[in-house]
Amino acid sequence: MVNPILLIVVPLGLAFALPIVNLISKKIIKYIPVLAFLFNLILSLLLIPKVLEQTIIVKIGGFHPPFGINLFVGPVGILFSTLIALAGFLVSIYALSYIKEGPKEKYHILYLLLLTGATGVVLTGDMFNLFVFFEILCISSYALVAYLGNKAGIESSIKYLIQGSVGSSLLLLGIGLLYGQLGTLNMADIANQINSISSPSIFVPMIFIITGLGIEAAIFPLNAWLPDAHSSAPSSISAILSGIAIEVGLYAVIRVIFTIFNASSFLMFFVFLGVLTLLIGEMSAFSQKNIKRMLAYSSIGQIGLIMFAISLNTQLGISAGFFQMISHTLGKGLLFLSVGFLIYKTGSMKISSFEGIGKKMPITSLLFTIGAFSIVGLPPFAGFASKFMIIKAALTTGQLLFTVLIGVILLGTVIEGAYFFKVIQSIYFKGTTDIIKRDEAPLIALISMSIFVLLIIFIGVYPDFIARILNSAASEFINRIDYIRSVLG
Amino acid sequence: MSLELLLIIAFSGAFLTYLSGKISSQLRDGVAVLISLGLVAIVSFLYNVQTETVFYQGFFGISLILRMNSLAWFFAIAIVSFTALCIIYSLSYMKDCERSNYYYFMMLLINASMLTIVLAGDLVTFFVAWEIMSWSTFLLISYNRNGALQAGIKYIVLSLIGSMCMLVGILSIYTSFGTVNIADVANHLTPSSVGYKLFLLIIFSITFGIKNAIMPLHTWLPDAYAESPSPFSAVLSGMLTRMGVFGFLLIMYVIVGMKTTLHLGRGFLSFNTILCWLGAITIVIPTFIAMLQNDAKKLLAWHGIGQGGYMIVGIAFGTSLGAAGGIFHTLNHATYIVLLFLSVGAIEYSTNGLRDLNSLGGLFKKMPIAFFGGLLGISGLIGVPLTNGFVSKWLIYKTLILGNAPFLAFAALLGTWGTVLSVYKFLHNLFLGQLPEEHKEIKKAPLTMQIPIVILSFTIILFGILPGLPLKVINSIIVAAGFQALDINIWGVTSETGTLNMLNIFAAIAVFGAIFWGIFKVARKSTPVDQYDNYAAGAAVPKNKYHYTVEYYAPFYRMGKPFLKDIFDMFYNRIAEAIGSICDSVRKIYTGYVGSYVMYIVLFIASLIFVQLTWSIF
Repeated sequence: MVNPILLIVVPLGLAFALPIVNLISKKIIKYIPVLAFLFNLILSLLLIPKVLEQTIIVKIGGFHPPFGINLFVGPVGILFSTLIALAGFLVSIYALSYIKEGPKEKYHILYLLLLTGATGVVLTGDMFNLFVFFEILCISSYALVAYLGNKAGIESSIKYLIQGSVGSSLLLLGIGLLYGQLGTLNMADIANQINSISSPSIFVPMIFIITGLGIEAAIFPLNAWLPDAHSSAPSSISAILSGIAIEVGLYAVIRVIFTIFNASSFLMFFVFLGVLTLLIGEMSAFSQKNIKRMLAYSSIGQIGLIMFAISLNTQLGISAGFFQMISHTLGKGLLFLSVGFLIYKTGSMKISSFEGIGKKMPITSLLFTIGAFSIVGLPPFAGFASKFMIIKAALTTGQLLFTVLIGVILLGTVIEGAYFFKVIQSIYFKGTTDIIKRDEAPLIALISMSIFVLLIIFIGVYPDFIARILNSAASEFINRIDYIRSVLG
Repeated sequence: MSLELLLIIAFSGAFLTYLSGKISSQLRDGVAVLISLGLVAIVSFLYNVQTETVFYQGFFGISLILRMNSLAWFFAIAIVSFTALCIIYSLSYMKDCERSNYYYFMMLLINASMLTIVLAGDLVTFFVAWEIMSWSTFLLISYNRNGALQAGIKYIVLSLIGSMCMLVGILSIYTSFGTVNIADVANHLTPSSVGYKLFLLIIFSITFGIKNAIMPLHTWLPDAYAESPSPFSAVLSGMLTRMGVFGFLLIMYVIVGMKTTLHLGRGFLSFNTILCWLGAITIVIPTFIAMLQNDAKKLLAWHGIGQGGYMIVGIAFGTSLGAAGGIFHTLNHATYIVLLFLSVGAIEYSTNGLRDLNSLGGLFKKMPIAFFGGLLGISGLIGVPLTNGFVSKWLIYKTLILGNAPFLAFAALLGTWGTVLSVYKFLHNLFLGQLPEEHKEIKKAPLTMQIPIVILSFTIILFGILPGLPLKVINSIIVAAGFQALDINIWGVTSETGTLNMLNIFAAIAVFGAIFWGIFKVARKSTPVDQYDNYAAGAAVPKNKYHYTVEYYAPFYRMGKPFLKDIFDMFYNRIAEAIGSICDSVRKIYTGYVGSYVMYIVLFIASLIFVQLTWSIF
């Protein structure tokens, strides 16, 4: 049997091997991330059927939990690692033609580390290990945000760094407090013993941990770093930050709430917070003139929607939340990638500078349009299927409150539709009517983006394809006891 | 011929047209015409077929169903026929336009999605097709750039609001009954509470009301019609907007069921009475606003809203005669409004895009086909006997009079009165009177633009004299909805309260016509004068100094202008502006200053503690 630990080891090892390879040949380094994530993708896909049968617990060094560090490769973990590998693979193909300037080897190292961190966060079963991977994820993203080296990039990177460090300190503080009281760092073991101590002394570490993780998860009002960071990073990184990093952060938050603290009574608060995050995100995006900021705010809105769905705390709601994560990764990834070349060719991030670009870059513009349609939730694209599921989940609860909140969320969708459709109009129906010479994005980038589109359409038309894994993933969160039992035996 | 195949042809035909346009534009034109005519042929073969197929089960395990019945067939044949005519018309109209591949692609995609809407046997298919229709319509409304952009945004925002309402409605049905099959839903719904049925009716009425442009949800329509390319304006007004009528029929008489719909509420405050009154308002106000318009397409657009009101009044009144009238009026309206848009389009084509009623005139001799098209079109719009509009309006009037609704009947009459005035302005300012000097030499409208005009003119007369042809199908629709069957014959409708027989009317008009012709023949001959032989107040009109179509109805304009404003449009614009400024201030939460961001983190922790201390939930 293949060991899931390779999912972390291979990209991490390649990241450290990359400087050595760089000494040998500067040309081949950019293919290393492609290889790494192709490997991860294949491995994850191979693991899915096994994991769906039975959760794989990897005991590192042969120590049995709660001693030593263990990986918990359950449906959620494998779902995320597949998603990370998929996005990582496609974006690294895109980056082959997109990343041309700057310290390239550092980009590729950091890119590998960023996604290694993300994979580690979703697979680990140890609290401190979670913190470590989280730091890998965060630190590499601070650096990547400033990759372009311009003023805006460095400024927003520092802002991100400050807020991120506050978050990390809080997280570490929380973990320390827990360790002091329980004497264990194993997540299953903490979860097992959490009821043995009084609730005030768990509450303090819990809010520290939630806040610390919530900063990366872009929960309102902890998301102020996001618009700056996502808009000044190179587009390939924005795609990963929006599509993967914040979702991994959100994963960590809900893992902590559901599995470790069993704080599902707190979820009602998160329902409102989710709706608020959504509204603030969409409303802030509405009047943006800068396309990448607009997309970044839209990500905040999407995170709010995911939070809402998961906080419904039902089987259907959690699966719908995961589904929304998948469609957001695909849709927002596609949007950032296509915008990357639109910006590259026009030299400006202003929406008004895209007027008439639909003639110059018809395929890239079409890809952008499909991504926008999917994010707004129009059929037959993936965003519709996930939105459908979320509304269904909310209405299945049968509570009037959720029905009303769905109304508010759909209002957010209308706002979202309005600003995306305005951009589509500028791309296609403004600017010169003369025939312009085509100046399309490079083929390799187009192929990578087209795979996103195919997946968006495929999942949108055939959502049952992923229904099973979504369902098991939701069960993993709901059945906390199973999690503890499968680790501690 | 299975229904799946029909839709596969419709959708793949759209893509095929686009791809063939990459090879050559002649090939594309050929493919587009072939596909659209092929669809007409296939749909007409499906006449009287009753079938139902599950075509897909991969969407969350929901059985997606296509169904053919008389209601679906009636709308399907209308959709494909009108689209085919408009496609043929587009061949020369869109010849030198940019992005014509895209135009044909969208036309056929919209056609295919409308076809899916009417064939849908379950609500998810219905919704998906509805959304595809909405966004592709948006993409085509924006086609003309400039003013069209604002129209497009207005359309898509209202449309999104509508679809979101519908989505909630559909999912609430799905979660309550576990099925979205329309027939099953209808069965499950029978025992459920009145409140729930009313909720469904209202939430779906918002969607369909927006699409059918019922006041006060009509504001997207005038701009959208005016700014689209004319053949698409024709499709938009003829069929796409009337998907709203289809939706009303579906929700009121198929899903909720006739017996329930007509007994929700008490007295005046019942669902269908209120809908009737909204319909009546929709008839009157837009028709008078139409009179003030100086843009030929905008004038037609406002009539499009007004005529939609007649359909709603007929359908919502809920008698056999009314429902038949409403459905028939949908078809008739499509015939003449398509004809009128195509005629205006021909003028636009010949005069390089002019549609301003103040600067046109006297085109009668230059464009005889367009003139006769326009003449028959406005006759249908008014409801002149021997045109199809007369029959459906007769049915609706009869319903209102028999149903003791004098005020509604008065509103309907008032609407017709306004229509007569405003469409006379339309015809006069385009075709009669002086011909401006610069239009002496104009492009001739080519044959492909004239053929659809001729076919539609012929249809207006055909359905006017032989209303039994379509009424036969309509009769089976209303019988399926649970209404009493009408006694239809080929010449009209027979009933104990009044009989419509177009044969008699036809004979009477023929006889009188013959008499008048005879009198004129015997009387003193008139002297034909040149078109430029004009006099005003006894003096010859100096050329190019005075154009008397300018400010037609000026006194009325002065009187009516302060009252006939589209207050709802202004109101919505105000709301949109307010939302915009709220959004702008929300954005300021992200100050750009790290100190405040760290403050937010502290505030978040504080709020968590506050929640815990107040409700002690953990």
